[in-house]
Amino acid sequence: MAEIVVQGGSLEASGPFDRARALSAFKLSDNLFYWTTRIAALSVLGILGGIILSLIVGAWPAMKTFGFEFLWTQRWAPSAQPEPVLGALGPIYGTLVTSFIAMLIAVPVGLGIAIFLTELCPQWLRRPIGIAIELLAGIPSIIYGMWGFFVLGPFLANTFQPLMIGLFEGVPVLGDIFAGPPSYLSLFNASLILAIMVLPFITAVSRDVFDTVPPVLKEAAYGVGCTTWEVVRSVVIPYTRVGVIGGVMLALGRALGETMAVTFIIGNSFRISSSIFAPGTTISAAIASEFAESDGLHQSSLILLGLLLFILTFFVLAAARLMLMRLDRKAGK
Amino acid sequence: MNNLNVSVDLPHASAPPLSMPDAPPKITVRDLNFYYGQSKALKSINLTLGTNRVTAFIGPSGCGKSTLLRIFNRMYDLYPGQRADGQVLLDKTNILDPKLDLNLLRARIGMVFQKPTPFPMTIYENIAFGVRLYEKLSKSEMDERVEKALRGGALWDEVKDKLNASGLSLSGGQQQRLCIARTVAVRPEVILFDEPCSALDPISTAKIEELISELKEDYTIAIVTHNMQQAARVSDQTAFMYLGELVEFDQTSKIFTSPSDRRTQDYITGRFG
Repeated sequence: MAEIVVQGGSLEASGPFDRARALSAFKLSDNLFYWTTRIAALSVLGILGGIILSLIVGAWPAMKTFGFEFLWTQRWAPSAQPEPVLGALGPIYGTLVTSFIAMLIAVPVGLGIAIFLTELCPQWLRRPIGIAIELLAGIPSIIYGMWGFFVLGPFLANTFQPLMIGLFEGVPVLGDIFAGPPSYLSLFNASLILAIMVLPFITAVSRDVFDTVPPVLKEAAYGVGCTTWEVVRSVVIPYTRVGVIGGVMLALGRALGETMAVTFIIGNSFRISSSIFAPGTTISAAIASEFAESDGLHQSSLILLGLLLFILTFFVLAAARLMLMRLDRKAGK
Repeated sequence: MNNLNVSVDLPHASAPPLSMPDAPPKITVRDLNFYYGQSKALKSINLTLGTNRVTAFIGPSGCGKSTLLRIFNRMYDLYPGQRADGQVLLDKTNILDPKLDLNLLRARIGMVFQKPTPFPMTIYENIAFGVRLYEKLSKSEMDERVEKALRGGALWDEVKDKLNASGLSLSGGQQQRLCIARTVAVRPEVILFDEPCSALDPISTAKIEELISELKEDYTIAIVTHNMQQAARVSDQTAFMYLGELVEFDQTSKIFTSPSDRRTQDYITGRFG
């Protein structure tokens, strides 16, 4: 009893003053911490705004000259007389088509790998495949470009395209898609390379989120008699859909903006062809291949292309958000 | 007639005769051993779950009661390195047969887990999901089945106006009853409860215990619990397990009033465990 009293007394003697001082010191560092993090967060907005602003300023002459016509003009003739004619339809078309085909291939394959790795793969095979996927992500894009140029391109032109033409010649739509003279450089070549490049993103992200599904939830699904496929479809993917769609969007963002490899193998032709085996171009490939030699209105048009890519990416992200909201509503949230 | 049955069982006479006289056996376990990799988690278990009876499994943590439960629906099969030998019969079917269709087995033997596990979908879909795996029902038949299952889970009155809300929006106790309703909807023959109330408040626990008493009219029930009063309240038979062995298996009233093994007595009086 006596001890407690003594203790209480000593606390009181040194207590209030020290504690207030200690607290005020905390307050200062807390404030500092708050402002440091706040400035860091706000700087993101600043940088984003700055980039948009400089893009708009740079693109202004082209916008003034071409107006909205820029969006649906196919011709790209920077040295045409008397006035240069510049239109973004070719690059926009190429960007959308290559990204679309790339996602069409990469999403099922990437998800398939992730599902195999988390649900079906024997333990000893898990690490080798996982590491291979990570290595795939680590290969520099120029190497993909070279491989596409020297290996995939000849294969597609000499073997794959004749096969497809043989299969689909005369079939409406499909026949046109695969028609045309063989070319090493083509939209399809670029799409395949893009698919391989974004595959690791989809796989790595979805594997990680699949691993977050509580084992007991999967057991419960197995417990009502589900097969592995039913568990994956009805429990694992719905449970992780936000993460999976995040991974797919990350991959799509990369596919839309990928420059080096695509510039190498797409052929840089602004003409739109119905065939996916014809050369084409994408926004980023057009900028990369022409920016160095451009000036005046030509350069301004390239900057405007950059702005369009920015807007395109923004819309893709917005669409992903919208999709998530609709999925949530369907799941009854 | 009865004598004939006994004579069929004679080859196993060396195993202790644990079958309860008052109910025909639903699940029969003979000389069951279970291994997690190298370590042996269950040592020659012999017991019988009577049809339409509630059998409780008690014992300290790690004694193997959940492990035993997970053998009945082969849940251990999901994990490499876990294996069982011996014999487990559901009626006449050998549960341990490697060629057995696990999806059908798990439809016959439902399971409710320690933590509520609603699927990430609406309340209605949570119930309909399992049913749809086996039966093609029209919309109205399905509505009826869902309502019946939710009534069976004593949840209908609380959710009938929000069947399209997410299963995750319910409270913990409601989620657990949703899981029971989901299990019932598939029309299993046996329901396994793995500590179904350990994450719930006393009122939800009482509701679920009441539910279990109703469910045994139609189903054979096995329940693992750490709560001795719960075992005493809901079960007909009780199995006490310790260090992977089945120490004692008898009528619940007998286990809790005059256990024949010293260790059982020590455990239920709280001297260890």
